[in-house]
Amino acid sequence: MTRLDPRGVPLGPIPARAGIGLRFVHHDALLAERPAIGWIEAHTENYFHDGAAPRALERARANYPLSLHGVGLGLGSADGIDRAHLARVKHAVTRFQPALVSEHACWGHAGGEFFNDLLPLPYTEEAVALLAAHVREAQDFLGVQLLIENVSAYVAFEHSRLAEWEFLTAVVGQSGCGLLLDINNIYVSSKNLGLDAHAFIAGVPVASVREIHLAGHARNGEILIDDHGSAVCDEVWQLYARAIARFGSLPTLIEWDTDIPALATLVAEAARADRVLEESHGLAA
Amino acid sequence: MASLRELQRSFAAALRDSSADCPVTPAANLTIYRNNSAIAFRSALEATFPVIRARVGPDYFRQLAHLYRERFPSRSGDLHFVGGDFAAFLDAHLRDGDYAWLADLARIEWSREEALIAPEHPAVGAEVLARFNPEQLEELVFTFQPSLRLHTSPYPVFSVWLANQSENAPPVDQSLGSECGLIRIRAGSLQIEPLPPSLFSYLYALADGATLGGAMDRSGLDEPGFLNALGFVFREGLVTGVA
Repeated sequence: MTRLDPRGVPLGPIPARAGIGLRFVHHDALLAERPAIGWIEAHTENYFHDGAAPRALERARANYPLSLHGVGLGLGSADGIDRAHLARVKHAVTRFQPALVSEHACWGHAGGEFFNDLLPLPYTEEAVALLAAHVREAQDFLGVQLLIENVSAYVAFEHSRLAEWEFLTAVVGQSGCGLLLDINNIYVSSKNLGLDAHAFIAGVPVASVREIHLAGHARNGEILIDDHGSAVCDEVWQLYARAIARFGSLPTLIEWDTDIPALATLVAEAARADRVLEESHGLAA
Repeated sequence: MASLRELQRSFAAALRDSSADCPVTPAANLTIYRNNSAIAFRSALEATFPVIRARVGPDYFRQLAHLYRERFPSRSGDLHFVGGDFAAFLDAHLRDGDYAWLADLARIEWSREEALIAPEHPAVGAEVLARFNPEQLEELVFTFQPSLRLHTSPYPVFSVWLANQSENAPPVDQSLGSECGLIRIRAGSLQIEPLPPSLFSYLYALADGATLGGAMDRSGLDEPGFLNALGFVFREGLVTGVA
């Protein structure tokens, strides 16, 4: 049974079930169809301001536990945290009271220019220390623990000295954050850069992983592009089952961001993730 | 060994210039990041300026977006802000040409973007004026809805915007000449409409902080015009405070 606040709004924690990434095009359908999904996640940046979008999220949030997922802080940027952006994240956290708040292990700006993309970090001790310091700074300011997500990569820095999972483990150790494992990103990066996806899942400390993302990718010749524009592929479902076997039942999100299909398609993908959770551990009530 | 800051500067340089060196492998894949950030920027611009895109076509819009980004790169992790300098860019880029009016159209579309994310406050009615002595009325200053934007242009840009709310709109006759008008959100709905110049100049003066009496002087309205304008700002729910 989901706990409710005095206004009847569901509070955390996010259940160990499947949820969907809520995009603008699905706000009305979500309200009308009330699909039996465990929770919703929204991109924090889409609800920074006033107007129709945040009002729609408030309506959705009245029916489902909410996670806020940021794509714009670029906490690994050596130039520092954009304080104005962080203040807007805090405003959203205060307004929507999410049960989880997450960001990415990436950087996004340098020399005053923002690239509005999740750019890869070199896996070095210096980058661990910088990302962990910025995660601590953000956590202190927001008053919440952050979950940090592994990103898809198309290149690797020649300077990297750690495996990605070792890098993330060290960031957890130095910042007290949790991890959001994106299984599709692990798969895409492993194929693009010749890495071992199984070693990643076997290496990350079990207790640090709090959430999982699943999405589709596109193929461009030999390169896999993380476009969130199709169904989750069989290989990623297999990796997911392996992750759940190791980490236990976890909140699992279906993301779809390009060529977005009808809400029912996302709900069906979420139901498939729920079946994996159920087969592995039995669904949490 | 290069510092993290140096590595990120070199990565950023390689995103701007495909011939710049960056110590990553495979370096050819930097193109994916180059495309991602260009597409994120352009998509945000397209969403903010749909009428400009419809008027100039997707190919020319793409060129404009590319040139604009070179002069005005993104300065925030929030893509909402990407279009903030587009009107100024178009002003400089298209000055004196046949498309100079696009800069004013961009001002309307940017105001639309700002209005869509502005809060709506409860409006006050004309009865609020009864709280003041008659001799105080001339000195009153109004506060307006945060979404209110006012524009004037030597071109018929309000007509262009309105005509392009349906697909395949024909070009608007530029000889219609200058227009002024307002952009605002009312009960969640966008309102973009031209106004008579005298009413516009009165509203503009009030929104600029002029007193009721001062705005009347600045706009040159006679008494019936003034009463009509006052009726308009209250009837339209534009006023949120009087002091």
